[in-house]
Amino acid sequence: MSAIAAESQNSIASVSAKRHTTLLHRMRRNWWGYVFVSPWIILYIVFGIYPLILSFFLTFFNYSFVNPENRQFVGIGNWVRGIEDPLFWKAIFNIVLNQSVFIFLKNGLGLLIASLLFNIKFGGRLLRTVYFLPVITSTVVLMTIGDNLASPGGPIQKYLIDLHLLDGPFFWKSEETWPMIVIALINTWKWFGISTVILLAGMYSIDARLYEAAAVDGANGWQMFTYITLPTLRPQLFFLLVVDVINGLQMFGEVFSIGFNVYGGINNQALTPVLYLYAQAFDRSNVGFASTLGLLLAYIIAALTFLQFKFFRTNEN
Amino acid sequence: MRRAKAFSPTIILSYAVLLLGAFFVIYPFFYMVNNSVKTGQEIMHSPTALPEKIVFTGYTGVFDELDVMLLFKNSVFLAGSITVLNTIFSALAAYAFAKIPFPGRDKIFGFMLLTMMIPGVLFLIPTYVLMYRIGWVGHFEALIVPSIVSVFNIFLIRQFMSGIPDELVEAARIDGAGEMVIFTRIILPLARPALATVAILTFMGSWNDFFGPLLYLNRPEQWTLQLGLLQFRGTVPGENAQQIWALTTIITVPIVVVYFFIQEQFVKAFANVSLSK
Repeated sequence: MSAIAAESQNSIASVSAKRHTTLLHRMRRNWWGYVFVSPWIILYIVFGIYPLILSFFLTFFNYSFVNPENRQFVGIGNWVRGIEDPLFWKAIFNIVLNQSVFIFLKNGLGLLIASLLFNIKFGGRLLRTVYFLPVITSTVVLMTIGDNLASPGGPIQKYLIDLHLLDGPFFWKSEETWPMIVIALINTWKWFGISTVILLAGMYSIDARLYEAAAVDGANGWQMFTYITLPTLRPQLFFLLVVDVINGLQMFGEVFSIGFNVYGGINNQALTPVLYLYAQAFDRSNVGFASTLGLLLAYIIAALTFLQFKFFRTNEN
Repeated sequence: MRRAKAFSPTIILSYAVLLLGAFFVIYPFFYMVNNSVKTGQEIMHSPTALPEKIVFTGYTGVFDELDVMLLFKNSVFLAGSITVLNTIFSALAAYAFAKIPFPGRDKIFGFMLLTMMIPGVLFLIPTYVLMYRIGWVGHFEALIVPSIVSVFNIFLIRQFMSGIPDELVEAARIDGAGEMVIFTRIILPLARPALATVAILTFMGSWNDFFGPLLYLNRPEQWTLQLGLLQFRGTVPGENAQQIWALTTIITVPIVVVYFFIQEQFVKAFANVSLSK
């Protein structure tokens, strides 16, 4: 933030210093600036703004990749169809379930591990390196391993059966809700390292004198954690939550790479909104409808992000 | 002080939990490598046991079934070209935003940051329609060209470059150095840590990406390692399961090797991302 503030002061200063020069003159003097920025501007117009307009335009048509000339105007038909589509809402339900479990576990585990790492003196770096391994590994590889470990007859189920926690092989992939939970667990394994690193960096930036003062006042470890550590980590936790919700609601590659088809299984038990959109566009060639689903999801994400900013960010600078 | 006594019960308990966590994180990787050097029969009967005898039939088998070298070449080509181009073009834009006071700069920068908030799902379908129209479906251009530059990388590098003193750039300008010279001779060497961060994140992202290639690279000779695994996995009979584990190991090792060499940068890259917000 301070960098941006300094930046704007800078530009104010430079503006007043060069008031005698005309705008055109300044543009000509700094024309390299436009040259250096132009790749992004051109790419964003072609692969950003144009697709966004096209996306909105497509929602009013029935359109297919196969013969795009043959598009048919349907007005708000796709919007009505999307809002009334039980599969879309099932996908929303699935993803909300999946992300509630995932965001809670991932950040909870990250917080726990970060606090423990903050406590110890030796080996912290090595441990952090280890926790980060899944973060850098590809989703397809991790889902292949996770699927195998959790499969009926796989090691985890065998172990649970030996412990009499499970009666027999459990075919979780064909159950309702279970695929979303298993995927959330595998994703927790993949991503908690990020929360750990981000929260740990936050902890190191806390003024040590706060803890000293609290210790003098006789506070115990838990009190220090809840009254000093947690409140100071608010910006980091908020950042993690916002990013997790935006990314998480668009999750679908995991479902695909753990072996479900584009409909999330026979009963759509693992269907997510983006997977459904993918199925509509590339399997059924309902491009206009798929575009509408994308916009509907984007509105839901925007609304959730807005709510988070409104309710979680209130009493912070 | 929290970080005091070396052997209090709290510290011992902390280590116990941390080591247990480390075990759970590493075990799946061990499981993967372990099974890649067993026979399919052994994997079926005792998936968690150590190999009776280390065999490399998984590796030889997967090379017979699949053109692994080609997949490898495609992955390196795709991730490599995206990383190089993106780092260069993002650094150029970042330099302009940080050090060249062109009119409209702050407005463009603000707009650029706003675009980061738009969920990627919106671009999925229309970008495919666009690629279809210009005939790039089935070509590497569809993946490389849109990735030549990215907002996030511009932002990260620009934050770093803002810390370089203006006087350095001004002095060079007074000496008559052009912007291109200033950029390559002064700015780039100083910004190396930021460039490394961006290059690492970009390489990892495109190496691990499977969705982009799945959408656009539909001919088998264009497949990347990730795509190869995705397609190959379903075709392997149980008695050849070691081939799957061999392939997952082959995919994972390069990135893990890179990671161990520059892990400090890697971890910092992720921490920076959140701190710069």
